[in-house]
Amino acid sequence: MSDIVEKTLTALPGLFLQNQSVGGPAGVKTSFSSRLGGLVRGITALTSKHEEEKLIQQELSNLKATVSAPTTTLKIMKECMVRLIYCEMLGYDASFGYIHAIKLAQQGNLLEKRVGYLAVSLFLHENHELLLLLVNTVVKDLQSTNLVEVCMALTIVSQIFPREMIPAVLPLIEDKLQHSKEIIRRKAVLALYKFHLIAPNQVQHIHIKFRKALCDRDVGVMAASLHIYFRMIKENSSGYKDLTGSFVTILKQVVGGKLPVDFNYHSVPAPWLQIQLLRILGLLGKDDQRTSELMYDVLDESLRRAELNHNVTYAILFECVHTVYSIYPKSELLEKAAKCIGKFVLSPKINLKYLGLKALTYVIQQDPTLALQHQMTIIECLDHPDPIIKRETLELLYRITNAQNITVIVQKMLEYLHQSKEEYIIVNLVGKIAELAEKYAPDNAWFIQTMNAVFSVGGDVMHPDIPNNFMRLLAEGFDDETEDQQLRLYAVQSYLTLLDVENVFYPQKFLQVMSWVSEVH
Amino acid sequence: MIQAILVFNNHGKPRLVRFYQRFPEEIQQQIVRETFHLVLKRDDNICNFLEGGSLIGGPDYKLIYRHYATLYFVFCVDSSESELGILDLIQVFVETLDKCFENVCELDLIFHMDKVHYILQEVVMGGMVLETNMNEIVAQIEAQNRLEKSEGGLSAAPARAVSAVKNINLPEIPRNINIGDLNIKVPNLSQFV
Repeated sequence: MSDIVEKTLTALPGLFLQNQSVGGPAGVKTSFSSRLGGLVRGITALTSKHEEEKLIQQELSNLKATVSAPTTTLKIMKECMVRLIYCEMLGYDASFGYIHAIKLAQQGNLLEKRVGYLAVSLFLHENHELLLLLVNTVVKDLQSTNLVEVCMALTIVSQIFPREMIPAVLPLIEDKLQHSKEIIRRKAVLALYKFHLIAPNQVQHIHIKFRKALCDRDVGVMAASLHIYFRMIKENSSGYKDLTGSFVTILKQVVGGKLPVDFNYHSVPAPWLQIQLLRILGLLGKDDQRTSELMYDVLDESLRRAELNHNVTYAILFECVHTVYSIYPKSELLEKAAKCIGKFVLSPKINLKYLGLKALTYVIQQDPTLALQHQMTIIECLDHPDPIIKRETLELLYRITNAQNITVIVQKMLEYLHQSKEEYIIVNLVGKIAELAEKYAPDNAWFIQTMNAVFSVGGDVMHPDIPNNFMRLLAEGFDDETEDQQLRLYAVQSYLTLLDVENVFYPQKFLQVMSWVSEVH
Repeated sequence: MIQAILVFNNHGKPRLVRFYQRFPEEIQQQIVRETFHLVLKRDDNICNFLEGGSLIGGPDYKLIYRHYATLYFVFCVDSSESELGILDLIQVFVETLDKCFENVCELDLIFHMDKVHYILQEVVMGGMVLETNMNEIVAQIEAQNRLEKSEGGLSAAPARAVSAVKNINLPEIPRNINIGDLNIKVPNLSQFV
């Protein structure tokens, strides 16, 4: 293109803007679209929380004035709304803006409506009284001829919708299940799933429509219906056993590469879909030989096909193994699955090691020998630098503790406990140690020592059952009277030793236990 | 089911916060802070899965996170989701952001926070995974972007005119016309006498 033409055309916008006054639409647009930028730049320049608060409060009061002013156009409102979202994300209250978000969704053009809906989904919650005002807008948008508007309405319905108003939109959404556009059908399925979650009895009558979605010609719609089925099968698997054949067929087709190439992710056919199907099959085949028999072939096929090395193949393998162990056992499959777990545990990739340990934990009841096979690796994992791996190993060991290995295992657990700061970890682990100590303690001395350690670390956060059980144990004792006396004596002696140590604080509960035991015995 | 999706930077400043389960406002802020502290402690070569912390629901919930340059992407999920699957989903989400923003960086997330939300809405809807194919997600976003162009109004007219003319396929006018050697055969004229 000639240079001259190029130069003229680039100069045109400048000419236009020069001719417009500051109050004109273009001028306002540029000054407002940089307002969010200005705000963010202002915040990043500040160093203290106090200054940030000041700046944001000032911004919020400016915004409040702007949104309440009758002359504010919807366009300006849209820009303000984005800044309000930003402020709320940082934790500041902008509730004066909520009603305007709803108005924006109601009255705005498509782009303004989009921001309005986004703001509503972030600001409000299901039981908010303002939400009822949105229902009419949603109803209107669901009936719109503009597909983008319909999509927006379906999205907002699945994110946030008042339960009492479900009947108002239910028929409209049901209608969308037959829409010609695949994306609309898919979103409608997920919207109905949301309804099923918050008000299951209102969607009872459309379970037949879910079945139709399962057989939909578009894979996306079928995949969306799987979310619903997974949930319903989890709650009540016996009601859906007749669908096992369908799920097996679908999985066979996916694994066999019958889906369009679009669905491949790094040359793996629809991995997330495979994972979902495997989970569903795992639920259906549990404790049910006849149903499980329908799946053996496809599970074998999945195990074989997942030979590539991408992350997502491991995801499928893991699910396969999980399913194989959940359903009625078949020895060849179990053997292959066990080999898989072995590969996971021995893998240098940390994520896979973690999953291998998790699988072992799951499998341990059915196949204790598997853990023995990988003993060395498990012991190495105890000293792994990653605390999450350590924890998972301790979880595993907790399940294979017996009278022989208890001292070693509990020692490792106590070591981990001392390093831990998070409350929920302490609570969990303390409970486990107490349980194991009670069951398998080799002798009194060890038992008391261990319980002392448990009380001093667990102290105030642990479950009250633990000290109660302990005290009851000392009170009731075992069958042998001398044995009991020795136990109590040892306990009291150990407390005296501990209390002698200076500059150590013991948790309240521990002191209570000590004083109770010493008094009574 | 996905309970929450959080994106924050290396200093804990939130860049995107979306909860799919209801939490009161102060708890939401606490969760963001707590998650940041949990994730900050992790080195870069250990596993990407974490327990959910005490605020976000208990032992059934996990935090699955990925660290990209200055940003942490954290998905809080329950046990019905596959850990490795979610890890790949985060990758898909980030790749989609990269495609929509062209070499996405933290600034894009800050200045176009609403656009990031619209992209996320096409990936996860109501806590359930809606679409995992990057091209499909981008197609949905482009459909919405076309609205933007058609709604530009008067101020966008010059820019639209410019881009329209630029996109016309005008034939290239050669600057130097090179005729090349012509071979004209001159007939042999007999001599004049």
